[in-house]
Amino acid sequence: MRRTLLSLAILSLAAAPVFAGNAVGDAAPAFKLTAMDGKTYSLADLKGKTVVLEWANPNCPVSLRHTHEKTMIELSKQYGEVVWLGINSTNPNSGDYMKPTDELAWNQKNGINYAVLADPTGATGHAYGARTTPHMFIIDKNGKIAYNGAIDDDPPGRKAKAERIGYVGHGLDAEKAGKSPDPASTHPYGCSVKY
Amino acid sequence: MTAPKTALMSAALALVLLMPPPAHGAASAWSVNDPSQVRLITASKVASGTGEMWLGLQFRLKPGWHVYWKNSGDAGYPPAVTFQPADVLGKPEIQWPAPQRFDLPGGLVAFGYENEVIYPIRARLQPAAAPTPIPVSTPAPQSPGTLPNTLKISADLDYLVCQADCIPFRYTLTLDQPLGIPAQPDPETAPLLQAALERLPKTVGEMTGVTTEVALDASLSTGPDLEIRVRGARAEAGKTDLFLETNDALEAGRPRVKVVPDGVVFHVAMKPKETNKPLPAHTPIVWTVTHLAANGRPFGLEARRDVQVSTGVGGPPTGNAPLPPASRERLARLLLSAFLGGALLNLMPPVFALLLAELFVLRAGERGRVREGAAAAATGTVGSAWLVALLAIAAHRAGMPTGWGAQLQEPVLAAFLAVLAALVALNLWGVVEVPLAPVKSPVTSVSSSGTSRHLLAGLAATPLALAWPVSLLQEPVSYALGRGPATVAAVFAVVGLGLALPYLLLAVMPVLLRVLPAPGEWLPRVREGLGFLAGAGAFWVLYALSRQVSAEGIAFIELALLAMSLLAWLRHREGSGRTFRAVLAVGLLACAAGALWLADHNRLVPRVRSAADLPTTLTTNEQFNSRRLKDA
Repeated sequence: MRRTLLSLAILSLAAAPVFAGNAVGDAAPAFKLTAMDGKTYSLADLKGKTVVLEWANPNCPVSLRHTHEKTMIELSKQYGEVVWLGINSTNPNSGDYMKPTDELAWNQKNGINYAVLADPTGATGHAYGARTTPHMFIIDKNGKIAYNGAIDDDPPGRKAKAERIGYVGHGLDAEKAGKSPDPASTHPYGCSVKY
Repeated sequence: MTAPKTALMSAALALVLLMPPPAHGAASAWSVNDPSQVRLITASKVASGTGEMWLGLQFRLKPGWHVYWKNSGDAGYPPAVTFQPADVLGKPEIQWPAPQRFDLPGGLVAFGYENEVIYPIRARLQPAAAPTPIPVSTPAPQSPGTLPNTLKISADLDYLVCQADCIPFRYTLTLDQPLGIPAQPDPETAPLLQAALERLPKTVGEMTGVTTEVALDASLSTGPDLEIRVRGARAEAGKTDLFLETNDALEAGRPRVKVVPDGVVFHVAMKPKETNKPLPAHTPIVWTVTHLAANGRPFGLEARRDVQVSTGVGGPPTGNAPLPPASRERLARLLLSAFLGGALLNLMPPVFALLLAELFVLRAGERGRVREGAAAAATGTVGSAWLVALLAIAAHRAGMPTGWGAQLQEPVLAAFLAVLAALVALNLWGVVEVPLAPVKSPVTSVSSSGTSRHLLAGLAATPLALAWPVSLLQEPVSYALGRGPATVAAVFAVVGLGLALPYLLLAVMPVLLRVLPAPGEWLPRVREGLGFLAGAGAFWVLYALSRQVSAEGIAFIELALLAMSLLAWLRHREGSGRTFRAVLAVGLLACAAGALWLADHNRLVPRVRSAADLPTTLTTNEQFNSRRLKDA
């Protein structure tokens, strides 16, 4: 009995890094994805930098509203030292799917000048537990998830931009000051990720 | 459709057609888009303009599309609405009907409504600001434009409607609400709102006989487990579902549902949202359970509980880690409750009767053997507590409702308790010779019977005590059942020790027995009198049983108990022949078994109806009399 329990304990320890979670404080799941422009991005290469992941889908009206309002575009400029990455986990069989070249053109036309990565298998989306577009993550310089949730506190976009609580902006301010984002987790809103 | 219904509907339709144009009615115009349409309604053709006012957002959705509950689930967001004039309407609150679950690609899930839904909205009119209502009989001043007794309501609405795809919409819905005295319900919208209000989840306080329990066990190696139990209601496998509101600390997985005879048990795997922080000691758990039924009426149930996050008390079986001090204090407090609760059970009529009878036996016996007898009775008591613990563990494993008090919710067990109390009464009346206490004059009969009789008396104590829902025991027992068999055994041992307290005291100080008067000729009378106490216990259990079993069932169980008593009496009085005695004994046992069978076969099974069976419209002349509408 004792031996079984001991081996179970060892097994669970061994399994821990495999199940890098999506909770705040967990090691951010590794990924290596190709951006719409063909460049490859790997989380491992970004060690030592603060990374923001934004699950995006141009065909989702909620993502689209933020594109028109330039919410993410302006934030990514404001925090230039941060690596801002969009990720589109739309399944190629979904009506929302865009070919990388089309999406690149659309992004450029709409002022999205940060890299958007294609995750057509949804593996990275599932690893992070990405549920909505947009769904936001901040990964701190140590490669740990520091924020998981919504972009702001205004799902329908009813408030003036200045009146919204920008969770990601506040989180990045906290990271910059060497503190932890507060809140570090919120309920993301938007369209479902089209896995 | 039946003829009266058709006639009523035509009458309703005629009334609708006679209604003033929508701008001055109880509904805004529909705002229409491809997947959905929405309008604002109020319950009143003429509203009083004071106190509470009910509004509603009525959605009609194309098949396959849905709008959201307050927790939208993995995607979407709930509708948001603000009302004008805010100085009159205050901040109206949306009420959320019981939702349903929508599975989305990628294992995602959303919570909301399809086809048609009305979100009732409660406004509390600000007294100073409302336009003055005027008597309806007085003709309104005919100034063009706004009437002075009209409240112009506008609602700024944002909502997201989704299939797999989502579309957000924004509308301003307006209606002019006439104000006046007396208020008049609107014949079209009042029944709609009434039906919507009836579909709102009920609170536990509104449902007599329905109880809930929540436990959050964060000590498991598999991650925190949330257990929610609903008792006193009928659940429907495949339909009854649990919906949790979002929690700051924990992410909820998909609930596992287990329908049990008396209700339903949910287990939800919870995942900490932030692993770099300890879990809070308490967290609010807010939930809605759908598709329940009680007394043949379907209902949803909502509750909010501040739940203690139990982490590692006792720990997994291997854990030798010291208990955190707070938990140790809690454990000590719970064990104290268990002991006091056990001691208190001695005062419950049948237990008390048995205890007194037993004490008189000891008093009448040899002085030197008091200690031995008392120890035997105490051993029996603790032993029976452990037997009950085994039963409780088995019931808990089987997903049956468990906890101190739950035993009375199981008809067969309750019937058994009634039979047991009746047997003790018959024994004390000297009719049944169960060797619990002597039948003949105690002066002559006792000491030779030895310790086994005392052991038996002790063994009967805990089962008899089971009929009493002592509140002191509820928390320790629920806690123990949540922790595992070892804790259950420990807690029940302490309950048994409490129950055996009088015997334990005697074992230590036999001289205490001298408090009782020396036995005399009066003793048999006292014993017979005590029999009535035990009988009272049987009546109490029958009363408790009457909530679980139909009236006919109760009547037949009572007859079975009566027949049992009759056979026992016959056997005692006239039972000279061995065969005759044996036949009567078998009959007696058959009657007891019959009582249990009757309890099992006359369970109150509410007729389960789906929410769709609820009337969607009420007759026009029916009073608009929902308690929620009036005073909620």
